[in-house]
Amino acid sequence: MNRYVELKNWRQKYIKMVSTNHDELNHFHDELMRKTVECAMEKIQREWGNPPAPFSFFLMGSAGRFEQSVWSDQDHGLIFDGDRECEDYFLKLGKEIAHGLNIVGYPLCDGNVMASNPLWCQSLHRWKQQISEWLMEASWTSLRHFCTFFDSRVLIGDRQFLTDMKSHAITMINSHPKLYLRFVENVDFIKKGIGIFGQLLPESYGEQSGSIQLKQTTIFPYVNSLRLLAVKEGILDSSTLSRFHKIKDIYPSIYRFEKYFVQLLHFRLHFQQDAQSYQQVHLIPIGHLTRNDKKELKLFMKKGYELFSHTKKRIVNEWQAW
Amino acid sequence: MEIVLMDNLWVIIGTFLVFLMIGGFILLEAGSTRMKNAGHIAGKTIFTAGIGSLVFWAVGWGFIYGEGNALIGLSDFFYGDASISEEGLAPAVDFMFQMMFALVALTIAFGGFAERAKLSSYVIFAVLFSALIYPVVAHWIWGGGWLADHGKQDFAGSTVVHLTGAMAALAATIILKPRIGKYNKDGSPNELAGHNQVYTALGVLLLWVGWFGFNGASTFEVADAFFGFVVLNTQVAAAAGAVTAMFVAWALTGKADVPTTLNGALAGLVAITAPAGFVEPWAAVIIGMIGGIIVVFSMRLFDKAKIDDPIFALSVHGTVGVWGTLACGLFAVPAFSSEIGWGQPGLFYGGGFTQLGVQTMGVVASGIYAFVVAFIILKVMDKVMGGIRVSEEEEMVGLDLSEHGGYGYPENIPNPNDQKGA
Repeated sequence: MNRYVELKNWRQKYIKMVSTNHDELNHFHDELMRKTVECAMEKIQREWGNPPAPFSFFLMGSAGRFEQSVWSDQDHGLIFDGDRECEDYFLKLGKEIAHGLNIVGYPLCDGNVMASNPLWCQSLHRWKQQISEWLMEASWTSLRHFCTFFDSRVLIGDRQFLTDMKSHAITMINSHPKLYLRFVENVDFIKKGIGIFGQLLPESYGEQSGSIQLKQTTIFPYVNSLRLLAVKEGILDSSTLSRFHKIKDIYPSIYRFEKYFVQLLHFRLHFQQDAQSYQQVHLIPIGHLTRNDKKELKLFMKKGYELFSHTKKRIVNEWQAW
Repeated sequence: MEIVLMDNLWVIIGTFLVFLMIGGFILLEAGSTRMKNAGHIAGKTIFTAGIGSLVFWAVGWGFIYGEGNALIGLSDFFYGDASISEEGLAPAVDFMFQMMFALVALTIAFGGFAERAKLSSYVIFAVLFSALIYPVVAHWIWGGGWLADHGKQDFAGSTVVHLTGAMAALAATIILKPRIGKYNKDGSPNELAGHNQVYTALGVLLLWVGWFGFNGASTFEVADAFFGFVVLNTQVAAAAGAVTAMFVAWALTGKADVPTTLNGALAGLVAITAPAGFVEPWAAVIIGMIGGIIVVFSMRLFDKAKIDDPIFALSVHGTVGVWGTLACGLFAVPAFSSEIGWGQPGLFYGGGFTQLGVQTMGVVASGIYAFVVAFIILKVMDKVMGGIRVSEEEEMVGLDLSEHGGYGYPENIPNPNDQKGA
């Protein structure tokens, strides 16, 4: 049997056992993805020989933040320490990885944030150049790319490559503090989850009608706030929880929101454990929620909005004081 | 004599304004529906206006204003009168003004047909609606029928025009059933968004301006320039409706939805149509605001009830038409009602429940009549014609091509005859 299919079966068999525990579930995902990537590496090695240069394969998005739910799509990239000629090999590897992960149960990324895309599979030198260009351009799209990149961690390979790049970025941002404001503007739009009467605002039309988009309405304000602070304070950790812990002493007034995020992660897993696909996983049908669940969800939303507004204010005020 | 001529001139100007509302409906309906049906929607509105005009000339006027009984008029068919009297309107001017109202009611009724009815159903229903439904209700209220005897107040037609049209639209949309793709298997509704919000907005604006004739010329005279007051009421009610609906949509969904805002303006206009000459401007604002609130909830309710109302005719003209009529029973002031011998003041002006009762009776009787007769007519048509709805394939291709053999936007839709593959 195809090795990827074996891994898919393994996933189906065991994921239920960890689906309500945030830590265990994310370790499970890491293990599954690692095995899949190793399998892809072996395949490429058989066909095209050994890798022509040292490299590291890193995760982004929810996987990069160690915040995956039962289902998530692929977001990954690759850094190699070699010249342009190596690119062909690593793109082939990126394609094979994306193909394998797709079979195993991680749908391809709509935005093409995958190591199969030359934008996300580059040499160390090109990567640094790319990051500088993103930051100098400071357009909405280029900063969105940077934010995606910044929520990254190495799954396989040399961690130092990624650390070097992030440090390079932080140095550059520190010398252009106006970028902090541009980062705030980049994530300033938050999809509303609560109306002015305090009611939940589910989708009105389509198969998603009656459901709340949990990611956009509730999770993003926490994730985006902590990323903003991580960029500002030069924190290289990618998970929102680690970022919370790292800013604890600098921003105690923001750390008090950590407990809501922990509860939110638990709440999310509880309601998503039975989701059958990636499309379903971020949707919470409000008809399935009890009165208490709704109350809890509204609290997470309100605290998230409060956190974002507080973070924004801190960053803007500090910038004005410079 | 000069005053009489001015009266006639004012009402014929009103006639032109009301007829331009058909242009407003073309833009409103075409913009609110999909591109593949745009030419059809525009074209059918013109030819059904043609049918409605001929039927009104032949029998409509006679059934409304002819000599008859409390239920129907029975003379003056195939109307034509070039005379002018010393007072009141020249018969031909009056006739033309009244005809425009019949055409507007017919166009509203066809809102319930949108995007799925056969062209032949439009033709037949245009004849039957213009002969058997609209004239009867108009006779009851405006033609000296039994509701007029009770002092029913309907200045320009919240009941006669809007509710009657909307009840026929309701019967049609129930019989036709929802458009393909409107509801999912699990019953959740999809948004079949209109293809051009700019058309819809321009349609609303054209209707709004036309409404100055619709309500303003319903004074039938220029004496005291009372039309100015009526137009003022019309304007503030429409404004209040638009603003309120936008706010309500934003409060409920978090988005200031454009179609809802536009429907709010129309709701304000429909709501003020009956009370336009009976109420004070502050009341007109309240009436428009409540119209703007009601229309939003009504749209949601119909959607939930799986009644597919593509251009919101049921909510804008039906639900709000009822509200406008009842509003007279609440806000009518003595100076414009009992003191001029047109019904009683409203509940808030010491008139008690008398006028409210009359208004309710008018709404119920007219609504039931229009719905039941339209339902029966359409059911019979459905049986006799082998269905009043186009086939699924025709609906998917779009009525432009299936019913007319061409597209409203030929450059933008690939030639469906270019078949790919085997």
